[in-house]
This record gives sequence, C-alpha cells and structure tokens, in this order.
Amino acid sequence: MKKTTIFIALASLFFLASCSMFELDNYPAPAETLQGEVVDVATGNPVLTDQGSEGIRVRLIETSWGDNVTPNPDIFCMPDGTFQNTKVFRGRYNVQIDGPFIPLLREDERGVPIADETKDIDIEGVTQVRFEVQPFLNVEWVGEPRVVNGKIQAQVRVTRGVSESEFREKIEPMGGYSSSFQNVTDIQLFVSYSSSVGYRARDERWTKINEYTGSAFNSLLGETITLESNGTIPSGRIVFIRAAARINYDTPAGSGTRRYNYTDAKEVMVQ
Amino acid sequence: MDYIKIKNNRMKKIYQLTLAICILFSSCSKFLDIPPKSIVGDEDLFTSESGMDVYLARMYSNMPFEDFKYMAQWGVEFNGWLAAMGIEGTGEALNRDGISSAFTSERTPYWGKAMTLLRDANYLIENLPLYQDAFPEITYNHYLGEAYFVRAFVFNAMARRFGGVPLVTKVMQYPAEPAALEVPRASEEETWNQVLADFNQAAELLSPESPKRGYANKYVALAFKSEAMLYAGSVAKYNETVPGRLTGLGDKTGVRVIGFAENAWQPASKKYFKEAYLAAREIMSDGKYALYKKKWAANNPEAQYQNMVDMFSDVESPENIYVKEYTFPIATHGYDAYSAPFIFKAPLASGTCPTLDFMELFEGFNRYPDGTIKVTTGNSNTQGEYLMYDSPMEFFENAEPRLRAYVIFPGDRFKGTDIEIRAGVYTGAVPVQPLFNDYSYQAAETRYQNLNAYRATPKTLYLSPREGNAQELVDYNGTQMTAAGANGPFYDNGEGNLTGLYGRKWLNPDPAFVPGEGRSDQHFVLMRYAEVLLNAAEAAVELSLAGEGSPDGSDLLQVATEAVNAVRERAGASLLTSTITSTESGRNIVRKERRKELALEHKSKWDIRRWRVQHYEGRNGFWGENRNRDAFSNNTRYRFRGLYPFFSTSSGKYFFDARFQWVSLKTFEYNVIDYYFAIPGGEVAKSSVIDQQPNR
Repeated sequence: MKKTTIFIALASLFFLASCSMFELDNYPAPAETLQGEVVDVATGNPVLTDQGSEGIRVRLIETSWGDNVTPNPDIFCMPDGTFQNTKVFRGRYNVQIDGPFIPLLREDERGVPIADETKDIDIEGVTQVRFEVQPFLNVEWVGEPRVVNGKIQAQVRVTRGVSESEFREKIEPMGGYSSSFQNVTDIQLFVSYSSSVGYRARDERWTKINEYTGSAFNSLLGETITLESNGTIPSGRIVFIRAAARINYDTPAGSGTRRYNYTDAKEVMVQ
Repeated sequence: MDYIKIKNNRMKKIYQLTLAICILFSSCSKFLDIPPKSIVGDEDLFTSESGMDVYLARMYSNMPFEDFKYMAQWGVEFNGWLAAMGIEGTGEALNRDGISSAFTSERTPYWGKAMTLLRDANYLIENLPLYQDAFPEITYNHYLGEAYFVRAFVFNAMARRFGGVPLVTKVMQYPAEPAALEVPRASEEETWNQVLADFNQAAELLSPESPKRGYANKYVALAFKSEAMLYAGSVAKYNETVPGRLTGLGDKTGVRVIGFAENAWQPASKKYFKEAYLAAREIMSDGKYALYKKKWAANNPEAQYQNMVDMFSDVESPENIYVKEYTFPIATHGYDAYSAPFIFKAPLASGTCPTLDFMELFEGFNRYPDGTIKVTTGNSNTQGEYLMYDSPMEFFENAEPRLRAYVIFPGDRFKGTDIEIRAGVYTGAVPVQPLFNDYSYQAAETRYQNLNAYRATPKTLYLSPREGNAQELVDYNGTQMTAAGANGPFYDNGEGNLTGLYGRKWLNPDPAFVPGEGRSDQHFVLMRYAEVLLNAAEAAVELSLAGEGSPDGSDLLQVATEAVNAVRERAGASLLTSTITSTESGRNIVRKERRKELALEHKSKWDIRRWRVQHYEGRNGFWGENRNRDAFSNNTRYRFRGLYPFFSTSSGKYFFDARFQWVSLKTFEYNVIDYYFAIPGGEVAKSSVIDQQPNR
C-alpha cells in the first residue's frame, strides 16, 4: 500500500513536471519608447494641439506582427505637439498621425493611394520620429490680453498654413471636393483654471465661440481679431487662455472630426 | 505484489474482450447505424405543424426585437434588468444610471447572435423545399415567408447599426476551407437592397392572416419593410448633410462599407423612399388595421386620454400589427419593477423620467416667445415672477390628451393614487422671483442646493436630500409638510423622480397588480398602425422634396396630411388646416409628429439617427422641429431639462421652475462617427476580409 502511494506520488510529479509549471508563461512587458514631434514644414514650429480625441491622433500599426493587425490603442499628442509612448513592443510599425493639417495618407475614392507620408519605422530602445506637416491654419496671439470688468480681451491673428491652391491640389484628388472645405468656421477663446486649457479643459461659463458662416471669415484672414470671453470671471485668481480656429474639413475624412489649430496657452491674472 | 498481478490479469482480459468485440462487430452490416430517438431531425421538424412551431419558436426567441428586454446601452442581450424607455440620449426621458447615455455603441454588438439566426433562417430556406409535400401550398409558402422575414429583420437590424454587413444568404458548411467561410462586408447599398429583396420575398409568401398568434403575416412584413426603407432612404440622403459626406471604403476590400457614392445616393434614396411609401400604402388600402379608438370620443379630452392609455394594454387592439406577448409566470419582464413612480418601488423605481424638452413637443401650454414652456410672467424664465397654481394639475389642465397618456404629471392619478412630485417648499414672500438668474446651458450645474435661499439661515427654500426621515420638514398651517414630494425629487437620491415627470406608457395601471422583478406580463407593441401612417407621410414628403411623382397615382402631400391628421385626431391634438407643403418645414411637421406619437417605444433613437441630427452641426433638427442647438448643447455634449414644482407656503399655491435636469446631471455626447457603430474588434482582427469602419 505504501509503495502504491509512493508510486502515485512519483508518477504525478513526473507528469506535472512536463507542464513547465515553473516557467513564467508570459511575454515581457513592452518596454520600448517612441517619441515624436509634429512640426510645420514651412516654419519648423511645433503644431500645437490639445490632448484629447479632437487633437492630433497618433496611430501605431505593428506591421511586423502580420498582415491583418488591429492598430494599437490610439494615443494623442500633448498640447505642445509632441508625443511619447514608453510601452511599445519591439517591432516594425507604421506610424500615422491625423490632425489639423494636410492628411499624410491620401487615397482617391476607390482607395488607390495618391500619397503616403506616414512613417514605417523599427521601434527599439528610444526611437524618435519627426513629422513635417502642412497645418491648415496658424493662430497666433497679437500683443497681451487685457482684463476688463472680469472679461478677458485677447487679440489673435489667423493665417493659412497652406495656400488655397496647394490645399486644393492635394485634397481634390481624394474625391468629393468642395470649395467650402477651406472656410474657417469658428474661432474659440478657451478659458480655464487649468494650465492644460483647451477644448477638453475649458470652462463653459467663460469660453467664447465666434462662428462664421460660409466664406465670411476670408476677409479676416491675416487681420487682428479681438476675442472677448463670456460671462464674468471672478477676480483674484489666475486663469489660462488659449485660442483655436478650424476649417470646414474633417481628418481623417469621414470621421466628422474637424480639428483645431491652437495658440500656446497664456496665463492671465484676473484682478 | 499479488494484488497488482491479479489486477493486471483481469485488465488484460478486458482488453482482449474489447478488442474482439470491436473486430467482430466492425464486419457487420449497418444494423447499428440507426438514428437515436432522442435527437430531433429535419424529418421530424419540417413535416408537421407542431414541428415547425418548434423551429419558428427558436428563431423568434432570438429575434432582435426591441421591447422590455432590450436596453440600448447593452444591445441585444434579452436582458430585462433595469428596463426603461427613451433614456438613450433621445431626450424622451432620463434615468439616473449609466445606462442613460447616447446611442453610440452597444455593449454586446449585434453580430454573433445575428449570424446564428441567419443560419437558422438560411437552413429553413434551403431545407424546407425538401419536405414541400408535407404541407398545403399556402402553409408551405407561409413557413418559407417566415424565414425570409427573419432574414430581412436581421439584415435590417445589422444595417442600421453598421452600414454594410456580410450578406450570408446560404448555410455555411463547416468544416471547410477558411476561404469558403470568409464573407466580406458588402457595400451599404447592397445590404439595403438585400433587406428590400428579403422583405419583398416575405411579403409575397406570407399569408395575409397570421396562422397563429405571434406568427408574422404579409402586413407585418410590409410594415417593417416601410420602416427599414425609410431608414435606408434617409441615410442615403442625410449622410450628405454631415461635414465631409459620411461615406468611405473598407481598408481590406475597397468596398464602400458605409454610405453611398456621390453619383449613387440620390437614385438610391428615391428608390428606398418609394418602397417605403408603397409598402405603407398597401397596408393602408387593404384596411385590415385601424387606429385604436374604442373609447375615443370627439371633443372629450378625458376619453381621448383614457383611450390612448388603454391601447397599449388591449391585446386585441386593431392598431397592433405585431406584438411581443408575455404570460405570467412562464414568460415575464420587470418593467413595472424598474420604471414605476418611487412610491411603488419594487425593488427599484423611477427608471423612466420624461423631460421638459419632450413635453414641449406637445400642445396645451402657455409659451414664451422662443417657444419654451412659460412658467413666469415675463418673456423668458429669468424675467417676471412665477405663475401660481392652486394645484400642480392646474398647470396641465389643457395638456394634449396624448401627452397625459404617455406621461404622469405631478399630482395626476396612477393606480388609484395621487402621484405627489414636489421639488421643494418656498417660504419667502409672494410674488416669487425666478430662483436662478441664469438658466443657460453653461450654468446647468448650479443647482437648487447651491442657492443662497437654501443655504442661508434662516432659509426660504426647503429641499430634501433623501426620502423618509431625511426629508426636511416645513410648518404649514399647523401641520408638518415634507419639503420634497413622496416621489421626490431628492437631491441626493437618484432613485426618486429626476425631472418632475414620470413615464406612464407601458406601466400596468391595475391597482391590484403587485409589481416585482419578473412579475409583469404586459405585451409590447413592436409595430402599430400609427407608425405605418407616419411612414407613409414621411416617405411622401421626402419623395415630393426630391421632385419625384407619386409611385401609385395618389396625391403624395394629401396622403401625408391625412395620415398626420388621423394620428392627431386620435391624440386629441389640433388638426392641420392646410395641406403639408413640399418644404423642409412640411417635412418637419411629419418628423415632429413621429417624435410625439412613437415616443418611449424604442423608435425615436433610430429616427434621430437616420435624420443625422445628433452631431453638433445637425443638432438644430434634433427634436424633429427646428430648435436652437446652443440652448441645450455645446459643440459636443447636450443635456435636457426638467419641470420642477415648488409649493409656496405664503400663498398656499404651486409654481414651476423650468431648468436643466437637476438630480443626476445627465449629459450626452454624440459625434459623426457614432452614426455607424464600430465593427467588433475581434471580428476585424481574426478575419482577413472583415473591414473596420473607415472613419474609425
């Protein structure tokens, strides 16, 4: 009887040993880093954005994994136009960004590629990537904002980052072109207590939206525009402001997301 | 040792015996090869009516019907928990929980279950012809028609969620080469054409009368066809109104999986509207169904109200075209357990709280110049003083009877009880100035409990955080009055009332009925004649707007006007005095009528989806009529309002405050990409041909 017990014990040990139960059955955690920046090809300035699904979207497709890969979860650029992902598996990737600039991947209506400026890179260690794009608009501050009776008055200038003819030359072959695509539809003055002010972090009580119908804005391009915040901001605290404008064109096409070009954030003391 | 030896010997013998039996019997003829009696095969099912009952019952129990057991947030799970109506960001009603969010996806995407049901339908289509002799021709045709009806219904349910889907129209033989099992998504246009073809086939084959309760018939197929074609026609047309045209090609196949090509949308939309119109007209001209008017009486709002309450509980209603029935205790749901007023809590309550914005679709209220309901003497709710009423019901005395049948007003009767809904008690002097100085969207989160009138000592505004002992008490004429009504609203308890109103539609009105989970067995009307009338009206106006002539010689706008008027007359609303015009405002008359008549029936969420009026740029048309979107939304999110009754102790009267929903601060977000749900990621990843939506 005792022998049987020993036999069974030994046998089980023998069988279980083949189950590699002492090995860690897992992949090592992803540890490679991808750093990138998005700059204006004309000026070399970063393309400012907002961290959220309305900002610059960064999509990684691990092409070394196979033909039919689901893209990695999308990440979004930081407000200064840079991005970083420190948890990427080693491999070859297609990196694509969508934002308020001429699309990098342009296809015609039947899906035939016209231009592909996305990047295919090997990600290993700390890999850096730089995208040079043509932003739709440049939005810049003119002078310093003023505070009058709890309202912020700020001046901005909006210019095109890509000329009308070049925009048309690049977008029209994609099909369904309309001359209304280039109209500036709205300018926003975002106000927030948070320094990461933007579309997502805005205080609705004070944020001001100026909307323009049709091509009404065209005559204001390059002009100084004065924006005034809504409501009355209580005095005694610092708020942050940012201005942003967008055109009537969504990226990627069909998503309905019309992304903003931004100024940098400014700190304003409300006295 | 001996012990093991004996055992080994015995084992050896057993092996030998087994081996011998195997060898011996394998040489025998197939006399053992008879089908086991416990397995039901085609020849059992497809040769008798009772067998077909079994087969059809299985298909029907898996149909993606949207009734008490459908929750938009969860999808087709046949899950009746927390049952509530109109809470998916359509503005009809609100619910405190996370289930009340915009219809942008379903937790269980309608994909796998659809494929199973398609297989059942395809199997019947392929195999029933082998047993054709077992039935009279008419019965045989009906059964085949049921299979086409199921298939049309499933493709329709998928198309309105995803656009183009894999058109699996034959039984897949498995196992097989992987290539033979892969079906890519068809284009959206091909998908709708398949829906159309299957509904046509079903309508042709099905009998004009359902052979049994719960079976489909020709008119059921035609009614759902008109609903589906209205969806298809609208999508083809209104995709064009979305910024950047809502269409795109799949990555892997290059097929136009969503939307229509630039040169195709116009003819497609006309074709679908025409089909919608003809299908609805056929039901109307055959005269089998009629609007429910058993208790209706002209110029009698009370009778008109009662008539519309009864029509949802009368299973013999001539208006019912297709109904999902329940029977206690074998097939039940729990709508009353989740969506009744708070005082009937069992175990939950207040799941369906209609909004003020919804109420504003209806007639019978004084309005401000901007069309919103008037609660003060001024020109907007920040101006003037509150209007005072002896009882809350006085505010509603001229309300459209249909609204009263759909909504329980504060102080109205339900189950033989007064439904007390009171937001608070005001002890200040009369006349009362508006409680807030800002009622805009931006100020929606400043609530009654933030007001100085409530926070100061002594205070003039009394509110209750919760029910029972947590109620604040106010002395009034020598008695103690609770600040909030018996049903709330309570500012810290979303289980009380949320908006000042309760849903009445679908609740069991019988005072003797004891609600509880799984104790309700009211039927759900999946398709009724009023919708057919409105389908005809909408298709008619759309055809007329597109410059199309009438497909059957009838006067399009006349038909539309008469249909709307028939619905309005029954509802106790005022009738159109002139013919609907072929304009956007003419179309909006029909849309608004749909928003009203078909509210709280799982229908409106599809209507606002196909009209493409949920994203910011299109949101002015959200209510079917034109309303300024900035009054209830910012550029992504939107929210709805409630109507809150307050009691004033110094006058002994009630006043109402109209403001954004107070208790659980629901906001909803909707973007253009949400018009087509994402294809489940796993399906895209495991297949080399299934495309994700191109705009995702």
